[in-house]
Amino acid sequence: MINKSFYTLVYREVWRFLVLYKQTIMPGIITAALYMVIFGEALGSRIKLENNIDYIIFIIPGLTMMSVIGQSFANSSSSIMQAKYLKFIDDYLIAPVSGFELSMSFIIGAILRGVINGILIILTCALFTSFTIEHYFLSLFFLIVVSCAFGAIGVIVGIVSKTWDSVGVWGTFVFMPLSMLGGVFWSIDMLPESWAYIALMNPLYWMINGLRYSMLGISEISITFSIIISLLFAIIFTILASIMFSKGYKIKS
Amino acid sequence: MNSIIEINNLKKIYSNGKHALNGININIEKGKFFGLLGPNGAGKTTTIGILTGLVNLTSGKIKVNGLDTIKDYKQTRKMIGLSPQEINLDVFFNIRELLIFQGGYYGLSIKESKKRVDKILFDLGLEEKAYSKARELSGGMKRRVQIAKALIHDPEIIILDEPTAGVDIELRHLLWDSLKEMNEKHDKTLLLTTHYIEEAENLCDEVAIIDDGKIIAQGSPKDLIANDGESQINITVDNWDSSLLPNFNSSFQDNIVTIKSKNSDKDTPHIINKITDANISITKLDIRKANLEDVFIKLTGKKLSDD
Repeated sequence: MINKSFYTLVYREVWRFLVLYKQTIMPGIITAALYMVIFGEALGSRIKLENNIDYIIFIIPGLTMMSVIGQSFANSSSSIMQAKYLKFIDDYLIAPVSGFELSMSFIIGAILRGVINGILIILTCALFTSFTIEHYFLSLFFLIVVSCAFGAIGVIVGIVSKTWDSVGVWGTFVFMPLSMLGGVFWSIDMLPESWAYIALMNPLYWMINGLRYSMLGISEISITFSIIISLLFAIIFTILASIMFSKGYKIKS
Repeated sequence: MNSIIEINNLKKIYSNGKHALNGININIEKGKFFGLLGPNGAGKTTTIGILTGLVNLTSGKIKVNGLDTIKDYKQTRKMIGLSPQEINLDVFFNIRELLIFQGGYYGLSIKESKKRVDKILFDLGLEEKAYSKARELSGGMKRRVQIAKALIHDPEIIILDEPTAGVDIELRHLLWDSLKEMNEKHDKTLLLTTHYIEEAENLCDEVAIIDDGKIIAQGSPKDLIANDGESQINITVDNWDSSLLPNFNSSFQDNIVTIKSKNSDKDTPHIINKITDANISITKLDIRKANLEDVFIKLTGKKLSDD
């Protein structure tokens, strides 16, 4: 049963990013719109895909997933860093809630921010081109599960990081390259064979492919594996984040 | 004895190897104003950190109202309100919102929380700051908000970690009055950590003196002073005969005789009679009553605070 303490923690997390919408919602939409204009409109007409789909439409799921990953990670990691930096994380640690409830409150905040960003980006992209979403529920599933995975990773990074710099490093040096190399702007058949194998090792490639299939109905790889990998990521990192909060790893003396 | 907090053989060794607590035992009775007195680094904050869930214990047990603080942490944490030493206010929200959330963390509905917040803001003189953000408040106001956070869910036990550290005298006395009222009128059990002697003597029914992670004495301030404190009687004289007070521990320097006494009220008239009978003129008499600082110095050989 959802208790009032847990509900309040979630409510605070959601209210925080809604109040700060200029920092938490708007940038993702503007970035996606710029990518649409530059890569979709200006360059896209020169790129031909094997499945005869317009390039501008092909990149929409990747752009959406790139933003969902970045926003959900940023939400939980920055919220925890802020709480640690200003020491009000103690208010959470002494509250009558479990480690699981604490980590889930941050993860749910991250899921909502990721999903809201994802939906708004899809709506923004619809202004530039016309497309029909093939599988609504599966699309929502991927938005939720991937936000959950990266929200949980954000919790872990927020807990272990000592400085804002070390949080930023993850975004710049890990998630951004993995997203770019995860098939946001290209199809696997555009790559040389050796690079195609490397792409398959990138979990973000499977997540982006999953959303691409659910939105556009095209898939280069097994959709079942995309679902399994996304779910596994979400479950493993959620459990890990909850254990860290329960044990007080790096946050309790 | 109706103990509300029972601390048994509590030990804490930090990851850097520092032994912060070396097996302390404390029993606090319901409704008492209990002080944990000790110098910086003695183990006061570690003790309340473990009690509230901020610090993991190494070994030992703490029970609150008979419930284990680890196994039954959800129940025990609801019974405790903590005002930490360091200001730790959420900057995203105004004071009213912040306190409403704080109530929510302890299971209050928004409606209940709002009602409690309005009362507490009034009681602590914070109504005018209700819609201000933490960064807009003075140090004293922030300290009041810290205490408001501890009270929001109406806990049975209120723990205050150095609540008057760094606040001016006026606010310190105002806070003392509020704390006394909580204890006497609202029957709350208060656990206060402090290194201010005056604070412990004025407020606490019972004090435990902690040093190097060990409880070295426990009792009412009056009893502790009676057992281990010594008042100092300073008498300025025109000359001195060192054989005059054979039964007292006395010294003479710069025309001042310093006499240590366990009971200055009883001994002073007797000493004055002895001196005047010896035709020695007294030009000044100064009595410094024994306090908990003297007790601490006697028990540990060091001073309690540098203030």
